[in-house]
Amino acid sequence: MAAAAQAPAAAKVVVATSPRAGGGGGGGGDRKVVPVVVAAAAGDEAQSEMHVLAVDDSSVDRAVIAKILRSSKYRVTTVESATRALELLCLGLVPNVNMIITDYWMPGMTGYELLKRVKESSQLKEIPVVIMSSENVPNRISRCLEEGAEDFLLKPVRPSDVSRLCSRIR
Amino acid sequence: MAAAALTSQLNALVNNMFAMGLLDDQFQQLQMLQDSTAPDFVSEVVTLFCDDGERIICELSRQLEKPNVDFDRVDSYVHQLKGSSASVGAQKVKNTCIQFREFCQQRSRDGCLKTLDLVRTEFYDLRNKFQAMLQLEQQIQACYPKH
Repeated sequence: MAAAAQAPAAAKVVVATSPRAGGGGGGGGDRKVVPVVVAAAAGDEAQSEMHVLAVDDSSVDRAVIAKILRSSKYRVTTVESATRALELLCLGLVPNVNMIITDYWMPGMTGYELLKRVKESSQLKEIPVVIMSSENVPNRISRCLEEGAEDFLLKPVRPSDVSRLCSRIR
Repeated sequence: MAAAALTSQLNALVNNMFAMGLLDDQFQQLQMLQDSTAPDFVSEVVTLFCDDGERIICELSRQLEKPNVDFDRVDSYVHQLKGSSASVGAQKVKNTCIQFREFCQQRSRDGCLKTLDLVRTEFYDLRNKFQAMLQLEQQIQACYPKH
């Protein structure tokens, strides 16, 4: 039953690629934004979709978190660094972001710094920021929450963590 | 070979990977996430993991060959490998990364080199099995006419 391609939902995926350097931030990476890969998703949800900006330097983790979020009917844009995320947000290249979910430890700007920058910005501060980390360091968690993080998720993130978030945000 | 035979071969392979402790339940979470909107999700993530792991292991060998090892840098690479392993459910590789990071903290070059050998062996063993898994999946898909 070769159904004609249904109108794809506005599942816009912007993937900014850059070769992941081991350390040292900034500079380097190519700035290519491979724009608007339309992924097929449930068309009827398009209107109510929430848009999440997911930030992680690991390509594996980006793929996993994006899929988990999409399964919860979020629209997802992924980027590989906090610097890139901030750039996109400040330039308004990813408008209507309802939530930012970011890795804590990344080369260059950390997720914690991204959180602070977002909360300092009058334009961005209302966007909930969720921090993910593979390390369960209580100090780190409380610091993030004090800075206004919406939640702190331990990696690997599971679908159940996201459904919990889902029910809270908005 | 018929699809059914290939499928049972695939199941046996994956079950064996769980039984050997190569994989943990995070891998099952990935399998459950695969659906009609992303029919190749597991194979995409596995491929990313294999490429990423290979790159990191090469980089680790290079770092540990240097006369003055920068253990913080080594540690940050091991952290990356641990993260990707945890995300695909590569339990054994992940656990070895945890040991590896201890040797980084102790600034033990010998410890790091020994653990690198171990993690390399484990990683390539897993990669071979993942590749066999993906190959079987392709063969199974080829048994069914395209929509």
